[in-house]
Amino acid sequence: MTDKKLLRVDGLSVDVVKGTMVTPVLSDISFSLNTGHVLGVIGEAGSGKTVLSRALVNGLGPPLEISSGQVIYKGRNILDLSQRELRLIRGKEIGYIGANPMGSLDPTMAIGEQIVEKLRSVRPDMSAVAAKERVLDVLASVHIPSPEARFHEFPFQFSGGMMQRVMIVDALVTDPTFLVADNITQALDVTVAAQIIRLIEELRLKFNTAIVFVSSSLPVVSSLADEILVLHEGKIVEHSTPHELINQPRHDYTKSLLARLPRIWGDDVKQLAENNGDVVLSVRDVAKTYVVRKRGTFNDHNYVQAVRGVSFDIHEGENFGIVGESGCGKSTLTRLLAWLETPDAGTIRFQGFDLAELTKAELVTMRSSFQLLLQDPYNALPSRMPVGRIIAESLYIHDGGSKEEIRRKVLSAMEEVGLPKDLENSLTVGLSAGQRQRVCIARALVLEPKLLILDETLSALDQVEQAQLLELFALLQEKYRFTYVFISHDMAMVRKVCNRIAVMYLGKIVELAGNSILFENPQHPYSKALLSAVPTLDDHPFQAEEYLLDGEPPSPVDIPQGCTFMTRCPARMKICGSREPDLNITVGRAQSACFRATEMGDEVPHQLK
Amino acid sequence: MDIKVKNMVQPSMDGMDLSVSPAKRMWILAWNSAAFKFGFFIFGALMLTALVYPEFSSVDPTKMNYRARLLPPIFVGDWTSAHPLGTDQLGRDLLLRCLVGLRYSVLIGVTTVVLMFILGCGLGLVSGYKGGVIDTIIMRLTDAQLSIPMIILAIAVLGVSRPTVPAIIIVLGMAGWPLYARVARSVTMSERQREYIRGERVLGASDWRILFLFIAPAVLPPIAFVAILDVARMMIFESILGFLGLGVQPPTPTFGNIIADGRKYLINAWWVATMPGIFLLVTLTSLNLMGSAFEKARNQVLKGEH
Amino acid sequence: MFILGFLTRRILQGFIVLFLVTFAIFTLLRVVPGDPARLIVGGMAPDNVVAQKAEELGLNDPIPVQFITYLGQLVQGDMGNSFLRPKSGAIVGASEYDDPTRGNRAQVLDLILERLPLTLQLAGVSIVFCLLIAFPLGVAGGLRPGSWMDRLAFFAGSLFVSMPNFWLGIVLAMLISVKMGLLPSIGYKGFSYTILPAFVLAIELAPFVIRTLTVSIAQVMQEEFITIAPIRGLTPFRIVFAHAIRNASIPLLNLFGIQLGTLLGGVLVVEYIFDYPGLGLLTINSVLQRDFPLIQGIAIFISGIFVFINIIVDLAATAIDPRLEY
Repeated sequence: MTDKKLLRVDGLSVDVVKGTMVTPVLSDISFSLNTGHVLGVIGEAGSGKTVLSRALVNGLGPPLEISSGQVIYKGRNILDLSQRELRLIRGKEIGYIGANPMGSLDPTMAIGEQIVEKLRSVRPDMSAVAAKERVLDVLASVHIPSPEARFHEFPFQFSGGMMQRVMIVDALVTDPTFLVADNITQALDVTVAAQIIRLIEELRLKFNTAIVFVSSSLPVVSSLADEILVLHEGKIVEHSTPHELINQPRHDYTKSLLARLPRIWGDDVKQLAENNGDVVLSVRDVAKTYVVRKRGTFNDHNYVQAVRGVSFDIHEGENFGIVGESGCGKSTLTRLLAWLETPDAGTIRFQGFDLAELTKAELVTMRSSFQLLLQDPYNALPSRMPVGRIIAESLYIHDGGSKEEIRRKVLSAMEEVGLPKDLENSLTVGLSAGQRQRVCIARALVLEPKLLILDETLSALDQVEQAQLLELFALLQEKYRFTYVFISHDMAMVRKVCNRIAVMYLGKIVELAGNSILFENPQHPYSKALLSAVPTLDDHPFQAEEYLLDGEPPSPVDIPQGCTFMTRCPARMKICGSREPDLNITVGRAQSACFRATEMGDEVPHQLK
Repeated sequence: MDIKVKNMVQPSMDGMDLSVSPAKRMWILAWNSAAFKFGFFIFGALMLTALVYPEFSSVDPTKMNYRARLLPPIFVGDWTSAHPLGTDQLGRDLLLRCLVGLRYSVLIGVTTVVLMFILGCGLGLVSGYKGGVIDTIIMRLTDAQLSIPMIILAIAVLGVSRPTVPAIIIVLGMAGWPLYARVARSVTMSERQREYIRGERVLGASDWRILFLFIAPAVLPPIAFVAILDVARMMIFESILGFLGLGVQPPTPTFGNIIADGRKYLINAWWVATMPGIFLLVTLTSLNLMGSAFEKARNQVLKGEH
Repeated sequence: MFILGFLTRRILQGFIVLFLVTFAIFTLLRVVPGDPARLIVGGMAPDNVVAQKAEELGLNDPIPVQFITYLGQLVQGDMGNSFLRPKSGAIVGASEYDDPTRGNRAQVLDLILERLPLTLQLAGVSIVFCLLIAFPLGVAGGLRPGSWMDRLAFFAGSLFVSMPNFWLGIVLAMLISVKMGLLPSIGYKGFSYTILPAFVLAIELAPFVIRTLTVSIAQVMQEEFITIAPIRGLTPFRIVFAHAIRNASIPLLNLFGIQLGTLLGGVLVVEYIFDYPGLGLLTINSVLQRDFPLIQGIAIFISGIFVFINIIVDLAATAIDPRLEY
């Protein structure tokens, strides 16, 4: 029985050893894997899933130590093999793909060269010519366009998604019988991640490789795996098939995991209405172009058109979402909204005042009314200041009164955001991501702002912390009638909290609609593609087979003529190549920049009854 | 490294409590390294001796005594000799001369570094924070300055004018500031990009507030390490100048001029040139050990943070 | 394409730097005390001869005019004539009376070019020695932080950096040439005369290389593409030699560009100690003799070398790491 299995893990335990301190990371992990099967491993950050995937390839180093157990591959314990014996199978029969494709290859060498190097290290019998041919073959099979040219390019010339394809080639080029895929979609945008998943599915059949697929996303794992392990605090709490796991979860942790999954579609999803308060922030035809000197030229420049004419109004008390993938211009737009940079064209009016026309002093005063919460809670706070001082900083800048008054305001803000009083004098080093975000919120709160811009503010947090902070935001909104702008790539989060949502693509808003319209009846093909890529267990109205796009957005330096989406659009028409569509009004207050939108405006996609 | 810290809540890479501030952890780490202690005690002892001994010694370092010419150090010849490191060609006590030389050496080294530090950091901060034309001008100046080797500049200037202590300090300081400016500039530029600086902008803080409250404190520590090591480097330069006859002029003893004098007697009395050299070597090694131990501790702490 | 744009930029920048250096040195030498005209004709010369010489050299013109004249000559490759050195051999004593009409002073550029090969040889050999000493120590220290090799690298670095080069030169000359008679050390009569000075220089440079290598190798070894390499199936040998050292060599190249000044400064002192007839000795002598055109010429020439080598260093770095192209 045991020998028929390709891989068997028996009672594997791993500890972190630091001096005399021993902390278990994995305890008593056992499972097995058949040839050609896919085993999904699901776990949250800190569950030990990366340690497990490294242990499967005997790739652990200090401070991690294997305290007991075996990893038996084809009847031999991988953990007992010498480095020499290990080299005969690792990299050759056993492949490994990690979560960070950009850092996985030497940045100073061409990717093709490195894959050939790897191939010939494990297959010294292969000639350089044969190896190169083989690499080109596999590069083509992962749908990398023009593999001959890209063979000679360097890692920095690839996007994250393309680089992950390269790493897949790196793993598959030796025809491994067993592959460990450690969280390979984590660093990627949703549509790119969906493309990678589709690719893995395709390759798995072609190469007949057994895969251990590790991920933090249950929908992703369940779409791929034959069996699923649920990893929680270093232990396997459940082991079953995807169907069983979703429909009859046995362990409490699995149940809570399922309950916490964001819901996007379905009857029980809360519907958020639009509201019609006064306009707080009014953005008109805002554009920003960065001039960057062209590589290798003396005086020739590239014009990076980051934001290309964006207009919208934000109403008091609403939650406005701006979504889009890397490079769509949403970070630039954020900086413009926060007036950290000034637009090249267009106006931004806050409470009726054109920000460009304010004097320096007026602007400083005005700043207390619109505040930006930054993305990365670990870098957003100065490391040398204690918490209380950080929060007081806002008041010092805006002359917030006497020392006692400031301290009183700080303490009350800390209480309001749920920070314990005794953190006042401690540094931020020991704080969790959620606590740090609370410090940021408190710091904005003491200024009594009207508008809060949240730049991916919640994306660094885990599900539980995220839910708690959303609750806090709602509470503060109720109390102070805050207006929020959520800038995010997380469609599920936006679905949950935003009244209206703008979808950005290549520096423009391609669709601007109310929550329910955008998620149920979007007009723009890009919105549909975005939705089709959202990993969810819900009944999906936008199946990836039909809506998911190939390729990647064009560079903002070389914007195509006509409709910028045309290069990837499945429904392009003649007119699309000559004119760029504006945001036309289609359904209710929804606007979409697509020539087809008006013509099929009121049609409801057939997947929705 | 064995460090016992109570209440190990979150062990970091260097095995210390993360709630202790990074600066403090760095001090503890550095202090616990053998290299630092070794350097600290030797340098401390030397400095103390240099400050005290010449004051209480009955002999004048410039006083000649023809009867006591070229006496060997006590461990070579006479253990009862009154001259521990021997005497030079004019019968002057070598230990005393070395100690007085050390005073000048440290004085010039430290003052020069302070001068370079102020000049370099100031220009580097402005250059990195303001960017644009100011940045270009300052950077081209540093390029120009760096492209003439310090020692050539120093001897060119001191060779044609009279070498006095202030002249030496100014010349060395003028020649050394560009490196500080470069480091300060690059740290400023990376610090300016940091997320929390953006946060500070959002709050409405002015440039000066950001520069003084946040960027300067971030820029100074990495440069401070360079500075410790640079004191040693400047002391070497001072001795080279002395050796070429362009340092503080005789009869004031400096390492450079003692060695230059002793060179002529090398075959008969090796110690006259050798002992001051070893004396200087020990001083500089102790200083460098301290500096490097700091640098190492800092690297360790920084690595632990990421 | 890339190379052309890059070179245009860098060469232009280089000219700006050279201009600044020329200006600085020129001004510096004009404001310090001392009358060049008297230096040339000698201390015993009558005053009218001195005045005549000053007029002839244009020393009575305002400094900016003198500077522009000098620049004009410089552009044509003329660095002027030495005040004191005749075309052939021996230095004319500054104290004796010297016929001011004599026009057989040596060209500054010729003097420099004549000495340059020996200095280049010295610098080249010392770099080889330096790498031989520092590479094993630095790489071993970086690969195994905290090991005895790392500690050895640390202490060796601290000791070498504390070693005054002139003193080491004197001591080694005495021990190795005088006492043991192993290597010659004073003057230059063949390649063996280069070894001892080159070794002293190598010791001066080694600590910088050791420290940079230790730090950068240790850093590279933490990078994901290195930690993941054994899992991809690469051998330890390839990981260290094809990837770790390759990546660590970029900081090393940059270090070379910056520490070139240290090397040139070291050359100067070492040549003086060993009486090695290179550019360094020429510099010191010209300073001691106040031979202004020569000092000026050497400083500008050395900045030129500095600029040139830094361009080469940057080109080499981009060849290794194409991300650096800009």
